Amino acid sequence: MSQKAQGSIRFSSANIVYPNGAVGMRDLDLEIKPGEFVVVVGSSGAGKSTLLRAVNGLNRLSSGKVEIDGVQVPQRDGRELRRLRKRVGMIFQDFRLVRRLSVMSNVLIGRLAHVPGWRAMLNLWPAHDRAIAIKALERVGIPDKAWVRASDLSGGQQQRVGIARALAQEPAIILADEPVASLDPVTTHQIMKDLVRINRELGITTLVNLHFLDLARQYGQRIIGLRFGELVYDGSAATVTDDDFREIYGRDFTEDDVLDEDEVA
Amino acid sequence: MGVPLKPARNWWLWAGAGGFLLAMTLWSAQGIGFSFSELFCNLGSGSRLLQESWPPDFAFLPRLYQPFLETIYIAIIGTVVGGILAIPIAVLAARNLSPGKLIWFADRNFMNILRTLPDLFWAMLFAAAVGFGPVAGALALSVFTIAVVSKLWSESLEAVNMGLPEAVRSAGGSWLQMVQFGALPQALPHYVSYVLYAFELNVRASMVLGLVGAGGIGMILETQRANFEYERVTMIILAVLVAVLIIEQISESIRKRLT
Amino acid sequence: MPKHRVGWATWLTFIIAALFIFSLWAIEFSPSRMIQVPGQVLQQLSFFYPADMAYGWETVLPAIVESIQIAWIGTIIAAILSLPLALLGARTLFPRISRFVKLISATARAFPEILLAIYFVPIVGLGAFAGALAIGISSVGMLTKLGAEVVESIDFGPVEAVEASGGSRLLALRYAVFPQVLPELAAHWLFRFELNIRASAVLGVVGAGGVGGVLLNTLRYGHFDKAAAVLVLTIIVVLAIDMISGEIRHRIIRG
Repeated sequence: MSQKAQGSIRFSSANIVYPNGAVGMRDLDLEIKPGEFVVVVGSSGAGKSTLLRAVNGLNRLSSGKVEIDGVQVPQRDGRELRRLRKRVGMIFQDFRLVRRLSVMSNVLIGRLAHVPGWRAMLNLWPAHDRAIAIKALERVGIPDKAWVRASDLSGGQQQRVGIARALAQEPAIILADEPVASLDPVTTHQIMKDLVRINRELGITTLVNLHFLDLARQYGQRIIGLRFGELVYDGSAATVTDDDFREIYGRDFTEDDVLDEDEVA
Repeated sequence: MGVPLKPARNWWLWAGAGGFLLAMTLWSAQGIGFSFSELFCNLGSGSRLLQESWPPDFAFLPRLYQPFLETIYIAIIGTVVGGILAIPIAVLAARNLSPGKLIWFADRNFMNILRTLPDLFWAMLFAAAVGFGPVAGALALSVFTIAVVSKLWSESLEAVNMGLPEAVRSAGGSWLQMVQFGALPQALPHYVSYVLYAFELNVRASMVLGLVGAGGIGMILETQRANFEYERVTMIILAVLVAVLIIEQISESIRKRLT
Repeated sequence: MPKHRVGWATWLTFIIAALFIFSLWAIEFSPSRMIQVPGQVLQQLSFFYPADMAYGWETVLPAIVESIQIAWIGTIIAAILSLPLALLGARTLFPRISRFVKLISATARAFPEILLAIYFVPIVGLGAFAGALAIGISSVGMLTKLGAEVVESIDFGPVEAVEASGGSRLLALRYAVFPQVLPELAAHWLFRFELNIRASAVLGVVGAGGVGGVLLNTLRYGHFDKAAAVLVLTIIVVLAIDMISGEIRHRIIRG
């Protein structure tokens, strides 16, 4: 069920200035093609989250525009923005599950915008949508946890629920905002592999924010480097050099910037 | 690997709880004669009452001065007497300080029973015992204060660090010395804060004690209410509210500074 | 002995003692009166025994049941009204309206239920219905305040997750806010029910139904054995309800 050539993103001279004067994005021009797997790197505060959250309108542009498949992302709340967000799944660093609800209920949250409002309010889910939720759970390998309370899962399992919730939207784009920052190294690699596999299998355009350089190099297809809200690197993961990373970070990198320490040297 | 069947919820529990809620509500509504029609039909007479009770009779205000002071006196006496008597009761009800299981058990139950009766019940009882007037109110509030302070403070006493009391004990101190020097100083700020809280409750309660003849501003309220002088009733209630809010603000700001 | 400075605590004790003695003098609670009081109380106490339990079962118990019904309906009314108000009062959800809602609820809290009952009795007539309305309205204030605090304390991540998936504000409330707050709100409602039992017990004093009127009448006519039945039954019933309700509250919060 691969998506047909959907999920392109285009930023045109986009700027974000926060109310406190901080610059989150500076004159960004960027084009991402359908099905790409893009890793966004940069030190903290470089505007990685700002970039991702601008794609689905969680952060508003101060000027310029951002389009998805040629349609401009609305810059205010409303039906149009919701319709657009329906096709953009998001994965969060802190999972953002409703901890008291079952895994299944959490995944169905990804279907909320796809069913009539009254059905959603009454928790009456059509069989079709249940099937999609189950499929999503199978894709992340935890269908057996469907009826477990979200708070009873390990961190890695909770993030899989987060991914399943995004998949349940049948999205054209997935935005993963530091998806592995609260996980241990082993789980981190599993989650990254899941994301790459889903990108290959379903052709969903995927944007992942990462802090760790080695992860970016290992899993990324294309790497985008940000510094002070500005695009300072855009290239293939296969050819990125340590010098490029130094340029992005504006300093020598330390063991804090890599996941597996022995790779520093 | 597939999705397991949705585990059967504990339907009996949910149906039981839901059924109980519904049955209790219907039974109660029927028991108290709840009816929307009565509510709406009587809104007419209600609005007439509201018209009569507005504007408040400001000319009546000076006559409230003396009874209002009496109300404050009652609250002060009740707070002081009750606050002092609450100390031994709270100490004996604290599991870590109580000298014996039996005393602890008896004291704890005594405390819980005191708590079951509302303030106005005590006021009625003391009014019957010592006659109508502010003395009955002061006694009622003393008991009410004991109930409030001893319960709250015994919980803070249970949370004190037992290092110091045990040190006093092992240095050859008596039980009383252990409590006095080891435990009470640690929980003193809580005590002051709870007594102030009880004072707030007492001011509020003392406003209505007079409804059953236990002195204070409530006694005037009761006569004006019985005569359907609702402009005056409104005046009294407004004055009471303003006074209560002011005293609460002061007391609350002191309590915040303490903790 | 070394002389030390007089601290603020000493001053405070002195002021309170002075206020206390002045108050005793002002209400004419003289030392001679103080000596009388214990005797009077003990003497009255002897009239309370034995309790007239026949009267208890026949008249008091139905009145207590009525008090419970008043408290129940009052709590239901308050729970229903306070639910939307608690959401509106949460700073994190509705920053503009929250201040206003909190102000209203603080004012409502300052109103003792018995003063509200004084107004409701003439409007809907003597009896329990007036009591239930008074209890209901006066509980709304506290439940709104506590409820708003519960809503403010929730994890807002899921709310953003719902909105990021294209769900509306309403659906975010339904799926991300309600599941988090409902158990704690229910515990607050139960706690308020326990308080309301005590509140409804006194409403009979102004003719708003329940056991308070019975106690007032028995005492007024000197039927102390009957008053004793009121006290015994009230204590037992209130203790029992406190225990059951407290247990349920603990389970809800843990579960």
